Amino acid sequence: MQNAKDSFYMALRTRLTTINPERTVLVRGAARPGILVEEAEAPLSQIPSDVFVLRWQGLGVDVDLDSTLVAEECEILYQTFGTQSFGGLDRGRLLSAMDEELIALLQPFYTPKLNYATTPPAAMLTQVFWDEPGFTPTLTQRDRLSRSAKVLVYSYQEQGE
Amino acid sequence: MAGNWFSAPAPVARRVMGFFAPVNRAAQTPVLFDPVQQGSFSMEAPPAPWVSLGWIQEFTRRSASKTTAVMTGIPASTLEQVRESLAAQVSFQFLSWTKLTMALATGSQHMNLLASASGLTPAADGPQATSAVTPQSGSTANSILLAAADAAKFSPGSLVAVDADYAGQTGFVGSPVAGAFLRQPVTDLDYIRRITFNVGLVVQVNPSGISLAEPLLGGAPAAGAKVQAVTGFVDREGGCFYQEWSALFVMEGSQGERIFFHYPRLQTMAGAEEAAVSLAGKQKTGHARIQLKGQFMALPVTDPMDGERVVCYRSFLPAANALI
Repeated sequence: MQNAKDSFYMALRTRLTTINPERTVLVRGAARPGILVEEAEAPLSQIPSDVFVLRWQGLGVDVDLDSTLVAEECEILYQTFGTQSFGGLDRGRLLSAMDEELIALLQPFYTPKLNYATTPPAAMLTQVFWDEPGFTPTLTQRDRLSRSAKVLVYSYQEQGE
Repeated sequence: MAGNWFSAPAPVARRVMGFFAPVNRAAQTPVLFDPVQQGSFSMEAPPAPWVSLGWIQEFTRRSASKTTAVMTGIPASTLEQVRESLAAQVSFQFLSWTKLTMALATGSQHMNLLASASGLTPAADGPQATSAVTPQSGSTANSILLAAADAAKFSPGSLVAVDADYAGQTGFVGSPVAGAFLRQPVTDLDYIRRITFNVGLVVQVNPSGISLAEPLLGGAPAAGAKVQAVTGFVDREGGCFYQEWSALFVMEGSQGERIFFHYPRLQTMAGAEEAAVSLAGKQKTGHARIQLKGQFMALPVTDPMDGERVVCYRSFLPAANALI
């Protein structure tokens, strides 16, 4: 399952560098593409702004198939205050931009599964795939706009996993 | 420990894509899809002459073939089975309204509404059209060269039909796509341009001609072809013509495997019908997407490999490394 989670994250991260290379985040002194996995970072009291944060949630397994099918629910959270130069008045536009970016990041709805525990990552035999995202309504808290999208990510367990 | 194969469960696919190619009606020659040489084609760029009609919904296919038992003995028991009849049907809904999807989803001929001058006697399929203009040599499927005065008659965003004048022919009319069947000659000089599939959207006009958004289905304008403005499309319930196309439906699985359903000859078998699909799920009021419904009957071809008559080929290209 970890390979599928890693592959999904790395696919989105790679696509983000093409779709919007300017969306970056400073993590432990290093500039990285603006997408994080919550469980792989230090605990956050509040998710960073203008960054996509992946939170892994539900899990389902179908063991009756030739290869076990695993479905994991990923919630992708994001928020924005707008920019200082516009006094935050562009926060709606920036949230819309992140909505569009996320839709683009998720297409195509599959990526090869790789084992990122090895260096370099080892290609596996199957592909990780997922459904269309389900978006929540925008949440407004003072000058902060936030939203999340849930995606079911599927993968087949391979030999040795 | 990682292996070098995996046990592939049943394919998981999100949607179905449809591709069509014109059947030569006069010669009854379909377009055949070769899964060996063409199976890995890009869904965005199908091999010629296949034309993508995009994603489709509610794709269902069923065999209508009947099998009967040859009985023998007392009491009678089945000696063997024989195929009594051979038939298959396909139905689905298009997610777009285009010249081609409308034509396929109507049980009869599909026509272009040719632009006309105002004040003429009204006609259900359009009054007498304004005069066509003649392309100049060097025109291509995407770019039609015209005299400056002729080019000025068109504007970006308008539609054009490009085909020959009608010259009294009967039988199947239109090439390479037959758009109608005439039992007797008609008097309309523009008739072929009314039923032609060589229709395009003008994206640019300059003194030397017009550029089209997509290439004409029939390729560069043939000798004698003329250009005429189109305002829309019309089809009728009734008539003696049945659309017939070669069809290919592709399901792409989550692991890269592909399932192909190839119907060499598919004829529409129902009149024009639409389905209203609410944009807000189960809500009955509000906006609804109007989807064209297509119902088709498969006609047989003779497989040259063994002389068997068949109506459909189902091919499967497994995923890489999948155990079969």
